[in-house]
Amino acid sequence: MAELELIGLSKRYGKKVWGARDINLKVNDKEFIVFLGPSGCGKTTTLRMIAGLEEVTEGKVLLDGKDITYLPPRFRDVSMVFQSYAVWPHMTVYDNIAFPLRMKKIPKDEIDKIVREVTKLVNIHEYIERYPRQLSGGQRQRVALARAIAVKPKIFLMDEPLSNLDAKLRVRMRTELKAIHHKTEATTIFVTHDQSEAMSMADRIVVMRAGRIEQIGTPDEVYHNSANVFVAGFIGTPPTNFLTVELKREKGKLLLVHPHFKIELSNELALPLNGYNKDKLILGVRPENMKIVKKDDATLSEEVLVVEPQGSHQIIAIEIEGKIIKIVAPSFPRYSSGETIHISFDLKRLMLFDIETEKRLNPFKDLGLDSEDFKKQE
Amino acid sequence: MGYYKYIFRDPHFIEAIINTGIFVAISVTLEFIIAFALALLINKKFKGAGALLSLALIPMALPPVAVGAMWSSAFAQNGWLNSLLYRLGLITADGKIPFLAGTEMQSLMLIILIDAWQVIPFMMVILLAGLQNLPKESIEAGYIFGADKFTVLRKITMPMMKPSIQTALILRIIAALQVWLIIVMIYGYRRIPVLVEEVVYYNEIVLGFYRVALAYSVIVSIIVSIVAIIYLKVSGAFESSEG
Repeated sequence: MAELELIGLSKRYGKKVWGARDINLKVNDKEFIVFLGPSGCGKTTTLRMIAGLEEVTEGKVLLDGKDITYLPPRFRDVSMVFQSYAVWPHMTVYDNIAFPLRMKKIPKDEIDKIVREVTKLVNIHEYIERYPRQLSGGQRQRVALARAIAVKPKIFLMDEPLSNLDAKLRVRMRTELKAIHHKTEATTIFVTHDQSEAMSMADRIVVMRAGRIEQIGTPDEVYHNSANVFVAGFIGTPPTNFLTVELKREKGKLLLVHPHFKIELSNELALPLNGYNKDKLILGVRPENMKIVKKDDATLSEEVLVVEPQGSHQIIAIEIEGKIIKIVAPSFPRYSSGETIHISFDLKRLMLFDIETEKRLNPFKDLGLDSEDFKKQE
Repeated sequence: MGYYKYIFRDPHFIEAIINTGIFVAISVTLEFIIAFALALLINKKFKGAGALLSLALIPMALPPVAVGAMWSSAFAQNGWLNSLLYRLGLITADGKIPFLAGTEMQSLMLIILIDAWQVIPFMMVILLAGLQNLPKESIEAGYIFGADKFTVLRKITMPMMKPSIQTALILRIIAALQVWLIIVMIYGYRRIPVLVEEVVYYNEIVLGFYRVALAYSVIVSIIVSIVAIIYLKVSGAFESSEG
């Protein structure tokens, strides 16, 4: 049982530069939380404050209700996997894993048992007598992982642990990490800038930018129910397409008007716009929510700029008013540059954002995961 | 061969060996401890660490001759150190301290202090470079995984710094084996004989004994070479498979 709570946690460098600002978060027992954001967004700073490696400027860190804000790292009952692995080069794999246990004054035969157990769990039991320099990057990573698991911490902290691995190994380690998490059930905070890593591993994602939290939610929530333009743009590849449109009222209906197309809003979409009195807004459409259709059903017809085949699907880029818009389409039929295609939008999945605050205007609380749409795809 | 026999029978030779040995042992230990402490301090990156570093480097820039001259004038009966103490009211006009009048052992200690003053910066720079090259996360991992500051220093920082500690120690030992100029500048020849001083003594001061000087140089070279080989051995220069 380990619950972590961050209350108004802030880090300021010098007088004006904020590394993290007013971070409020409650991490539940056994949860796998991912801090996601571009570099310099404060995710690592926040993690280091939880670990006790970074001094807290303001706010509190509570672990199981106990204030640990100013406790030295070794009294915090946390363990960490570092980006550079930080295994100690002068110790064997065995000693690397045993060192923290010796610090805890655990009896020798007990240590022996734990080391054998965790090295089996992460699959490095064959290399127990080796030194880190005799291991590959992936194996060192496992040693770091085993060391972190062995101490049975209340909280597991991981600072971009997969970013130094090659692409293939990274994807494999994701799966393994998740499997290990299921076995150990340790509350975990994982920092990454890779949104697909975050999506595939997290119970909940904390999206950060410029030291602040932009949104906290499950992978589905941050993806389908993005709180603002930043989150919608950061999560998903290719990223969400954004277009500035005019909001017009015609015969009691709301219209989104763009020089290239016109969309009539359903009552459902129009409702959240009731209080909105600006005449423009930002329309966000995910690439897979645009379909290539027959001319008669099209909202928009454009020339194909380039096609990026991906095997399982293809990405088609078009240009509207100098903006590149990407569409995810099935692999076939193939399209080629210069060809005119006809596009319709999945109206249920349109995202509308305030033109000034960039905040989401139409949060759909019901993700509709059991609607007809989703069932068909299964 | 006769010259070697002459040397081995010379009581000054034994004395020189012993003095050099004492000098190397004490000065290197003392210098290492202080230099390491200073390096750790400067590595803390507190305000003024940069200024302290440049200040600490000044003695290293001075040639041994200047150092010798400077301290010899300081320690003379009417030298500036006594004047300073007198001005500060710490001693009376009659109570001037005869720094240079001690026993041979005391004199050797004084030399060790002066030498330390000059070479600590050199050692500190090597150790500081080693410290700054350590991966930060390895040290932090120590703190996360239950070690306090002292344990991290002993079990993680120092073992990981082994290469620079070795380099600093052995280079210093080799240099310390060859000390002579400071001693001669302060005490003159033959007051505290050390090995290289004897080389110079036989070569420059007593005429016609240059072959003895030559024999001495051979002995010193052998000792220094042995140390150098030990250094290369422990630092792993002979084993290309390491690393």
